[in-house]
Amino acid sequence: MNIRYEETQGRSLGFYALIAGLGVFILAALGAVLYMEHYGHYVTGMSNRIVWGMPHVFALFLIVAASGALNVASIASVFQKKLYKPLSRLSGLVALALLAGGLMVLVLDLGRPDRLIVAMTEYNFKSIFAWNIILYNGFFVIVAVYLWMMFERRMNKFTSKAGLAAFSWRLILTTGTGSIFGFLVARQAYDAVIMAPMFIIMSFAFGLAFFILILMASYKWTERPLGDAVVNRLGSLLGVFVAAVMYFVAVKHLGNLYLAENAGVENFILFDGGIYTQLFWYGQIILGGLIPMALIYHPALRGNRSTLGLASILILIGGVIQLYIIIVGGQAYPMEMFPGKEILEGYGGIAAYTPSLPEIMLGIGGIAVSLIAVTLLVKFLPFLPESLADEVADPHHKS
Amino acid sequence: MYRLVAILMVLLVSNVFAHGHQEQHDLGEEANSIKASGKIFHTDGLDVIRKMHPEFLNHKRDKTLREGVRTKEGSLKGCVNCHSTKDKKTNQYHPVNDQDQFCSTCHQQVSVSVDCFSCHRTTPRKGTK
Amino acid sequence: MSKTLNRRDFIKTSSATTVGVATIASGITLTSFAVNANENPVTKDKRWGMLVDTNKLTEVEIDGMVSACQQENGWGSEVHSTGDQKPTWVKKLKVQDKATGKITSLPLMCQHCEEPPCVDVCPTNASMKREDGIVLVDKHLCIGCRYCMMACPYDARSFVHEELTDQREHMPRGKGTVESCTLCVHKVDNGESPACVASVNSDAVIFGDLYDPKSNINQTLKKVQSAQIRADLDLNTGVRYSGI
Repeated sequence: MNIRYEETQGRSLGFYALIAGLGVFILAALGAVLYMEHYGHYVTGMSNRIVWGMPHVFALFLIVAASGALNVASIASVFQKKLYKPLSRLSGLVALALLAGGLMVLVLDLGRPDRLIVAMTEYNFKSIFAWNIILYNGFFVIVAVYLWMMFERRMNKFTSKAGLAAFSWRLILTTGTGSIFGFLVARQAYDAVIMAPMFIIMSFAFGLAFFILILMASYKWTERPLGDAVVNRLGSLLGVFVAAVMYFVAVKHLGNLYLAENAGVENFILFDGGIYTQLFWYGQIILGGLIPMALIYHPALRGNRSTLGLASILILIGGVIQLYIIIVGGQAYPMEMFPGKEILEGYGGIAAYTPSLPEIMLGIGGIAVSLIAVTLLVKFLPFLPESLADEVADPHHKS
Repeated sequence: MYRLVAILMVLLVSNVFAHGHQEQHDLGEEANSIKASGKIFHTDGLDVIRKMHPEFLNHKRDKTLREGVRTKEGSLKGCVNCHSTKDKKTNQYHPVNDQDQFCSTCHQQVSVSVDCFSCHRTTPRKGTK
Repeated sequence: MSKTLNRRDFIKTSSATTVGVATIASGITLTSFAVNANENPVTKDKRWGMLVDTNKLTEVEIDGMVSACQQENGWGSEVHSTGDQKPTWVKKLKVQDKATGKITSLPLMCQHCEEPPCVDVCPTNASMKREDGIVLVDKHLCIGCRYCMMACPYDARSFVHEELTDQREHMPRGKGTVESCTLCVHKVDNGESPACVASVNSDAVIFGDLYDPKSNINQTLKKVQSAQIRADLDLNTGVRYSGI
């Protein structure tokens, strides 16, 4: 079995149309940033109650997905599954691209993005944010080295070691991302250690959904063969991950309901939170969980790429909704400041939040940056195997 | 080609002279009157304050904010109070970071942005008490 | 040698003269020092704090505290920010006991915790606590990430949502950074009380050094029952309340 990697041609009309389309979204995002930074955050829907809005939803969604996208490579080098090996390069690339997009959104939503240098030079080692800055930068370096080991024939023998390092790093990274919320003792919606493992499982699902979509699209658009062995395997794995996310969501909410202190915010999200309750049940659970699982596992739809693609898209939409509920919903419900007392005036009540267009454009721009990075890099470097037909990818595949 | 290079060289050299040339800008109301009275405020010499004022200000800011040391020395308030000019017609102070005001004249020339005044007051103190 | 005299010695030697001017007839306690007191860095020997007696404090007085703070520090006149976007350094809260129905009004501001969550989470060390317990934002380092606002249990911090001009000389504030009650640190360093405390014409709000056994606040806290908001978090706040 000899895998040959080749750059995509990138000369077709479709390629330029894709670049141009993504470029429009990126320009719109940059315009939105200039607008928000020039006037200040009053032009957004964010406030002193909803301090993190739509940009954080997209940023954390992309950052979480980034670490998950690396899993395909990890399965190959850490767990020695041969089938995944030809996919490793693309997996590393998608991981880096998603992280870059997410960080761009995160940074451009700062009050003073011009002071980014301060964040790189002044570290408070007690801050989980500061750890994350180190973890993100480290992720870029480690995955870049990992990719180099894969690309450079002489270095191939170190691939599994680099893969192990990258895999460990990504687990720590997502733990760090989840802990941004998990360690917020003041807020009943967040203060839970389960946030970290839940974010890891979420990353598995979102990252793989991104990966499957990018893989299927790139092989279709470059007219390269992509066999069922690879696609079906990835599909079933995705189903398992989605089920695992649902399990963690159930445990988190049941555990929270048990604590009287958290009952208020749990009732808010699950039963009487208006838009947040609707988003939870219809968006996160049905659209982002149950329907994709049915699409993946229904016997009549097995091996159907259109439905797998649809399932992946729904998982991603469900993922954005899930982060919206965690981030915005968690802030909208007031903190329990006086246990045993009701606040009549001055604080409390559900905080209002209407995402503004610039915020949404910035978030979508982050996705566009990730996708444009993948599109361009597969043109300039040999990330994609020229064929992933069954007999190449898995010679022992029985169809 | 050589002619183009020559022109470029001349432009570059004249640029250096432009920097060396000390255009006499308005120092600000109080600074002018101190100067007129023959006293010297920046006793370490103008070169020192010109070159080192960012260090002085940074040092002072950390001392004041983090340690509560509130001496007058190296205080940004002092700079603003002394180096502001008034508009002749309206009798109002110009913000000290406005174009062609004290801070901007040099900072524009060397294209270094001033971050102080995104938060700090830009005109001499208005009575709060 | 007088320059190396440390702050504690200085206070000891000068306490005899300062005690005399410390208590004003109205009951507000001022701790005055000689002018050169703030040449030396503040030390851990002090811990500034405030005690609010909600039984004595009227709603009108709380409103007065809020406007005194606005006047002193220059917030509240933002033109573009709407609703929850407006900065609020101190606000009036009305809480009702679920069992007894008793209604209490109180001013809520930065509680100046000994273990401030905002300082723990700040990635750039912009959120900071002075040696004497005053919690501040170093706006020179603040990048506007707003993580401190997520971490604060008291909803005490505000993000500046718009460009500001004409700030108070002693209180720099600017777009894109986070701000909160400074306990009027500029006044405290000059031996004065915070503006909100000074605005109350009774001993319903007292300010002083929690550690100093001779201070009014220390002695009162030993006598009366007082509470910290969200005491379960064990943050050991500098602002205490009695009557809640």
